Amino acid sequence: MSAARDMLCDTARVVFAEAAKAGISPVEEAGFGLLLVPEEQGGFGGDWGDVNAVLQIAGVVAPDLPVAELIVDAPLLPAAAVSLMAGAMGQALALSIDHVNMRQQFGRALGKFQAVQQSLAVMACEVRAVEAAAAALAARLDGVGLDPSAAGFEIAAAKLRANRAVGVVTSIAHQVHGAIGFTEEYDLHRVTVPLMRWRGAHGHDAHWARRLGDQVAGLGGRGLWEAMTARGA
Amino acid sequence: MQGFALYPFDPPGDIAALRADLRAWLAVNQPKDDVVARANCWASFDRDFSRALGAAGYVGMTLPARYGGGDRHPLERYVVIEELLAAGAPVGAHWIADRQTGPLILRYGSEEQRERYLPGIAKGELYACIGLSEPGAGSDLAAVRTTARETAEGWRINGQKIWTTGAHFSHIILALVRTEEGSERNAGLSQLLVDLDTPGITIRPIIDMAGHHDFNEVFFDDVLVPHGALVGERGQGWKQVTAELGLERSGPERYLSSHALFVALIDAAGPDPDPAVATLIGELASEMWTLRQLSMSTAAKLAAGEDPMVEASVVKELGNAFEQDMPRRVQAIIDCNWDDDTDLAKLLRVLLIASPSFSLRGGTREVIRGIIARGLGLR
Repeated sequence: MSAARDMLCDTARVVFAEAAKAGISPVEEAGFGLLLVPEEQGGFGGDWGDVNAVLQIAGVVAPDLPVAELIVDAPLLPAAAVSLMAGAMGQALALSIDHVNMRQQFGRALGKFQAVQQSLAVMACEVRAVEAAAAALAARLDGVGLDPSAAGFEIAAAKLRANRAVGVVTSIAHQVHGAIGFTEEYDLHRVTVPLMRWRGAHGHDAHWARRLGDQVAGLGGRGLWEAMTARGA
Repeated sequence: MQGFALYPFDPPGDIAALRADLRAWLAVNQPKDDVVARANCWASFDRDFSRALGAAGYVGMTLPARYGGGDRHPLERYVVIEELLAAGAPVGAHWIADRQTGPLILRYGSEEQRERYLPGIAKGELYACIGLSEPGAGSDLAAVRTTARETAEGWRINGQKIWTTGAHFSHIILALVRTEEGSERNAGLSQLLVDLDTPGITIRPIIDMAGHHDFNEVFFDDVLVPHGALVGERGQGWKQVTAELGLERSGPERYLSSHALFVALIDAAGPDPDPAVATLIGELASEMWTLRQLSMSTAAKLAAGEDPMVEASVVKELGNAFEQDMPRRVQAIIDCNWDDDTDLAKLLRVLLIASPSFSLRGGTREVIRGIIARGLGLR
């Protein structure tokens, strides 16, 4: 990650944490609405790689605030949701790992039980997949000047992949946490409930699956591979 | 394992031209008649095809030119193998030699071994098999018991390997053996490169549930091989094998084994598919696209000299689940009798039967998840 993006992320962590208590105004005042505005127009001149990084933080720290809506136009909100979801899933995984390493039962940490290890490995795979989808979508959007119509395949594929990970990630996270994860006091629901919400927002599974399926059917069996390789690497 | 970013996949040279040339070559040289061979095609053996592919410069691509290789970048090779797999080309004969044995000989082998074996590998004519599993050492590979004792004449090998894919058509086996008497677990192991026509070696077929002869038992009965058969450092076999497995786990073959079925499904569905079929196609396309990103990122990391063991395992776990579920999901919604004569039915049948092996070969699902759990800091 570039130094500029590192600084941007540091700022985002501080500002979003403040906004989580005070509402969206600190995010507006810090100028996040100008993230994608070119420098010559007085903006930050960022790209979707920056948006992806910032929204992954928003997905953890300020999931209930309209940060994505502040930064991007409506046609790109499904893409923004993928980044929010990737961030929230990463946090759900981190909380789960911390919990199973700390919580002792039967005389040892939960994480020492193979059954728990295997569950968390399944969850980690889903989280990595969504992070990869968010990053690959960012690369495509930046490659086509943020034109959503030129990234139709990637937006559909990434949002659908993120949606399909939600059930696995939220259920395993809650399962390994036990009762504590079901409390108002503990932080897990601050990411799992938004994940449940985002799955249905900006296109549920069937919406994107149909759209992508129709697109692929139009390409034909061999055409899918040709299109996929022509669009990236 | 926190904070995952895609590693940029940035091969040198004109990749579009590389793809176009290979596609044109395949249009002429890929056998057309056998649709079933396109499924799980890295297990499809075709000596003539491997030879022709080698002659065209698509085998041993990353080996140095002085050993007959192509001096190409690992990511150029990646592009070539994903094209071959997506086309369903029968690459099984040379697959293991090209993917791992050749690179391992280059990295750890002696000059004599390199000169002796690498040119044949690069021609697509010299085939290799992997001598790891034994009757008592499957997932628990450190339980290997086959021994090699150093004598004045060379190494004397006694023991047995099993599940050895392609031993019956291979020329060499890279065997993990216990060279230090009384050693235990992953200490005292070494890798020996053995010509399979050496006296004392017996190869017996094991027919799989599809009726195919892919794997074998390989018996070593007082087999004498030269001192020069040792690959790399004596006693460092475990470390070398672990590195070898990294090459094995994250390649595009971990998500493209069922690709021929996906192609047939899309073609059978036509341009205006039934909504349920369109939904399935969309789901599969989304998963495949994501897997390709993960696999390319891991390949780029490997090419940069890093050791992304956990990421490679993520590719294998997700890829195996994808290519294993695909035939089941297709069967669940497509009208198609078990013994129909359509391409779709034939591929479906073959892959339903072949797919249980996908999460066994190259490390079982449970072992792979254990590696991921270790990467998460749980073990």
